[in-house]
Amino acid sequence: MGEVAKMEEHYKEIEQIVEKLGHDPSAVIPVLQAIQAKYNYLPEEALRRVCEVSDITPAMITGVASFYSQFRFSPAGDHMVKVCVGTACHVKGAEQVYDALRRKLGMEGGTDTSADGKYTVEKVNCLGCCTLAPVVQIDNITYGHVASAAVGGVLSDFEKVKDGGVKQRFRKSSGEEIQGEIRIGLGSCCVASGSDEIRDAVKNTIERNSLNVKLKHVGCVGMCHQVPLVEVVPAEGEPILYSKVKSVDVDQIVRQHFQPAGFWKRMRGQVVNALENVVDDGKWSGVDRYALNVREKHVAAFLDRQVPVATEYRGVINPVDIEEYKERQGFLAFKKSLGKAPQKIIDELRESGIRGKGGAGFPTATKWQMVADQKGPKKYVICNGDEGDPGAFMDRMLLESYPYRIIEGIIVAGYCTGSDEGILYIRAEYPLAVSRIQEALDRCYEHGYLGKNILDSGFSFDLRIYQGAGAFVCGEETALIASIEGKRGFPRMRPPFPAVSGLWEKPTLVNNTETFAQIAYILRYSSNSFNSVGTEHSKGTKVFALAGKVARGGLIEVPMGITIREVVEEIGGGVANGRTFKAIQIGGPSGGCIPARLADTPIDFESLTGVGAMMGSGGMVVLDDTDCMVDIAKYFLSFTQNESCGKCTFCRIGTKRMLEILVKITEGKGTMKDLDELENLAEWTAKGSLCGLGKTAPNPIKTTLAFFRDEYEAHINGTCPTGKCKELIHYEITDDCIGCTLCAQDCPVNAIPFAPHEKHEINLELCIKCDGCRQVCPEDAVIVI
Amino acid sequence: MLKLKINNEDVRVPEGITVMVAARMKGFDVPSMCYRDGKPHFTSCMICMVKDNKSGKLFPSCSVKTVEGMDIITRDEEIEESRKTALELLLSEHTGDCEAPCQVTCPAHMDIPLMNRLLAEGNFEAALEVVKRDIALPAVFGRICPAPCEGACRRKTIDSAVSICLLKRYAGDHDMDAAHNYLPEKAPSNGTKVAIIGAGPAGLAAAYYLQLRGYQCDVYFRGRQPGGSLWTEVKRGVLPEHVLEYEIGRIREMGAWMYPDTYVDPEHFREICRKFDAVLVATGSGETGVETWGLEMTDKGIAAGKSSYSTAHEKIFAAGSAVRNSKLAIRTLGQGKEAAFSIDQYLQGEVVTGEPFLFNSRFGKLLPEEFPEYLKESVEGIRLEPAAPSKGFTKEEVMQEAARCMHCDCREIIDCKLRLLSDEYKASQKRYWSEDRRLVRKRHFGSPKMKESLPAGNGGGSGSILKASEQNRNIFVIYEPNKCIKCGICVRITEEHRERFGMSFIGRGFDVVVGVPFGEALENGLEKVALQVVEECPTGALTNR
Repeated sequence: MGEVAKMEEHYKEIEQIVEKLGHDPSAVIPVLQAIQAKYNYLPEEALRRVCEVSDITPAMITGVASFYSQFRFSPAGDHMVKVCVGTACHVKGAEQVYDALRRKLGMEGGTDTSADGKYTVEKVNCLGCCTLAPVVQIDNITYGHVASAAVGGVLSDFEKVKDGGVKQRFRKSSGEEIQGEIRIGLGSCCVASGSDEIRDAVKNTIERNSLNVKLKHVGCVGMCHQVPLVEVVPAEGEPILYSKVKSVDVDQIVRQHFQPAGFWKRMRGQVVNALENVVDDGKWSGVDRYALNVREKHVAAFLDRQVPVATEYRGVINPVDIEEYKERQGFLAFKKSLGKAPQKIIDELRESGIRGKGGAGFPTATKWQMVADQKGPKKYVICNGDEGDPGAFMDRMLLESYPYRIIEGIIVAGYCTGSDEGILYIRAEYPLAVSRIQEALDRCYEHGYLGKNILDSGFSFDLRIYQGAGAFVCGEETALIASIEGKRGFPRMRPPFPAVSGLWEKPTLVNNTETFAQIAYILRYSSNSFNSVGTEHSKGTKVFALAGKVARGGLIEVPMGITIREVVEEIGGGVANGRTFKAIQIGGPSGGCIPARLADTPIDFESLTGVGAMMGSGGMVVLDDTDCMVDIAKYFLSFTQNESCGKCTFCRIGTKRMLEILVKITEGKGTMKDLDELENLAEWTAKGSLCGLGKTAPNPIKTTLAFFRDEYEAHINGTCPTGKCKELIHYEITDDCIGCTLCAQDCPVNAIPFAPHEKHEINLELCIKCDGCRQVCPEDAVIVI
Repeated sequence: MLKLKINNEDVRVPEGITVMVAARMKGFDVPSMCYRDGKPHFTSCMICMVKDNKSGKLFPSCSVKTVEGMDIITRDEEIEESRKTALELLLSEHTGDCEAPCQVTCPAHMDIPLMNRLLAEGNFEAALEVVKRDIALPAVFGRICPAPCEGACRRKTIDSAVSICLLKRYAGDHDMDAAHNYLPEKAPSNGTKVAIIGAGPAGLAAAYYLQLRGYQCDVYFRGRQPGGSLWTEVKRGVLPEHVLEYEIGRIREMGAWMYPDTYVDPEHFREICRKFDAVLVATGSGETGVETWGLEMTDKGIAAGKSSYSTAHEKIFAAGSAVRNSKLAIRTLGQGKEAAFSIDQYLQGEVVTGEPFLFNSRFGKLLPEEFPEYLKESVEGIRLEPAAPSKGFTKEEVMQEAARCMHCDCREIIDCKLRLLSDEYKASQKRYWSEDRRLVRKRHFGSPKMKESLPAGNGGGSGSILKASEQNRNIFVIYEPNKCIKCGICVRITEEHRERFGMSFIGRGFDVVVGVPFGEALENGLEKVALQVVEECPTGALTNR
């Protein structure tokens, strides 16, 4: 094809995209997403063409395209390497993994794509697989527990498997006579850890052996530290949960399980001995299959303290099977609601005491009431699933595992507020959530739960997905609305609140995903069932993503008022690897670090705010004695600084200047005066910023300064007490060295001379402190000074 | 109407207006930068913060509607601190000079870039007028000044400093040679008399600027000729006698009376103080006998206010080496001018504060990648030396050398909101300044000369200008993103007027810049509303001067 013909072809494609998605400026984000999907970046010619054939102006398209981090302006490599730098990954060395990948692929300076155009490496805020930290995703294959020394292995493995075609589809299977059921976790963590492969293996085994076994796909079980999980439920007897299953083991598990005993007994014996290893997820490759009995102590501890509301039927229910949802009382709350006056339902919610789960804890019923009280006819309901918090993956899990439950909550809200249109705002980084929800929406339309005249009630409601394009600030409701309207995600002053003037200046109810996920439960079982759990002002439960240096991480739903200690020690099994519990970071970048000595603080809205933290969206990252608190503060500040929309002075420049001071301190160049200035800026950024992002951005600094000021002072005096801050440490090899040369082979800058059988030495001039040598040393002879 | 309290006053305001509008309506000043009258708020600069007196919380007054019963404070210590902090944050990324470094450095604070622009155009009379606003003896100082300004000249970083001193000399010499010697327009005589003791640079400068303001100055000095320490330069052969005499002659022509050979003893001094409405002691250094006059002394000289030049006696002022010995004549000359300002304040019955110095934004050294940006408004080539050094520059040489000036001063210097507010709230640019500063970038279309020389409606010029719309043909617009405060006013105006390309926010967060989409030329972004955008830009980011 000639250049001109090619260009015309492209133009035609662009026109088709615009034709399909709309000429209106509000279509700009979907149009950009479609163009990027087509060309893998946004060619300027394409954008100019869009402006020519639509009402979108060059200023709009430029403003929007450059605002959202999803969009690229230069071609990406054939494969996208996404290094998760969420909190859990950060504390497990994600930065070093990122550096190592760039080194391995020979990327220098500002470039993010390898010279051969094969790979593009980028950091992503959170892939939502915190329990597998550090995580690297290449295209749609996710690698967990990636050490910086292992990136070469990851890349070569990817080269091997990339053409194998990893399937994202999932199928149903049923038998006439069921001997039992095999449940395979299909949450992102499970899929990432290989549950797809296992599903195929199970299916093969079942078919090969003609077993009448039901293969069932369930949503996230929550025990993300044990993935991939396979649960075997025999028709008689106890269900057995197999964790960290490998596909090669499947055949044996399945056959032994549904055939005369023998294997089973052997397995039980192993379990008892192996349990301690199981709960330690330190090693990825070395773990073989182990079966877990749900009644075993550790498992019981993980699950027993939890109260599933949003996560009801966890690990039991097939996410996209609408029939099963209905069997399990799905849509009952909605049907009950249709028979009642909306005010009655709102009153019931008020009675339940449910508060918004997005972070601020605004009473849900009050919000619904505000929208309901507005004059119609047009009102909107928006489900905020723009979970951008590094180290939180509740929304992702809920969307993936309980799509109908969330949809039901939204429909009820539509009914109560007098709205006929809803939007599920889901970040584009959650493709599995998007596809699950889409499938669930299709089913709902097919079954008449959405659309015109739902269940002959006269009530009509439409619901669609809007994919966020990557901007943390869009979790703020006014920014989220701006984004749906096709604008830059700039927040605006409230009032007017969206409840009065929201999307397209119409009354709009914006609730968090988790809030919607709890609605059906309350209405089905009564408000009392919800408010009997929790504390005086914080009723019911809250879902948290427990990760970091805890033995058993995962997604947990706990009653409000449970203490930090109970979560960390009883549910999480304490700190992993025999280290000491130092602090817990709650609420992500808006939250704070609560020290171990305040571990008896109950987890509810007021108590957390009282110690300077915040419920936030529910990220919970456990930190141990090897974590540097100044580094943690710097980490969160660099996140918020990077995510600041740039609209208001205090946040745009204040976060930048605070970060600069923190960098100075972690490099040992800080002064005591810097600490004062940092405190001053923290105060003013909080007071002066326009929206919640800026107002809460200083929280990580404020809390670490309040509880760990000595660490800041130590840095100013030239030492990082935990040996985390690169500029303040160096590596040394002790006399334990056996001269194996592994470190010398691994060193990317040849700072360790190759000297077999001699004690190795590190040339500190050359050393880039990548930590590779320490990781590969079999004798732990490389130490940080 | 709504009832509310503003600064503890009960007021009634119409419904539906914002707190900012209500406060302004009732005569309370609320500063703002990103707000546009009658347009939707944007809430970016955060300068308009006021306080809800009930909750004690601060909020941006441009974006909040008044509500019955509100209790608002528009200014207190905390609000001031808030505005100051916001300004300091904005200044920390504001790479630009208000006054050019040369002017800031000049002890007489002369507007050097403006002089250079006028000289480059060949407008020598206007150039002299500019020089004489600060330097009463241009031809003299064009010969004897050690030119600290040239040390600060940004051009020096690139190749060599502009020859400022010789340019100034030309302005003065041109006046000497001209058929019509320049005499500034002075205020009508006000009948108030000021005695000046000493006729060195300080005394002469004070006489010049006081005469200009309508005062009658009597200048008493020792020796036959006025000029004081300037005579040493004559004796050294650096300063021709006739030049000194000519320029002092101009001061005489302004109406100052000179009393030579006057030795002032304590009794005479008391008499002068009785006879005159104000007295300036500018006796210079050396054996002058001032210590016997009953004035309060320090170990350096007469005790006088650093910028007010006032002494313990309200009508007596002191300046120049009589206060503290200075080898730099230009400094004492500048002090004479400043003392004249203070004396004027005193005689007008005002509080004597001395000449105010407005806030000045400054940034460090120019970086090599910024050289081309600065050279866009200048010409190539190193500093010109006069063909005949003793005669100074020729007319052609002056125009050529003056064109080397890079015009580091900000064009928005008079009405830049950022500068005025930074001055009012005493903001410090250094506080949050980062060494990793924004780079200077200059985009422009048209040329500044066109604006003045071409009649409106007449097209013409380079190819780039032809591309712009009719409206843009005769205007000059320059955009310096490094001075932008991201208030989005230009973005909003170009959107309102449906510019073809317009201005857009590009990027996010701290790295956001405002620019023309797709890297189009500035003139393509501002085809319809260039002048309005320039008019409304609150800083010197977009200007047309």
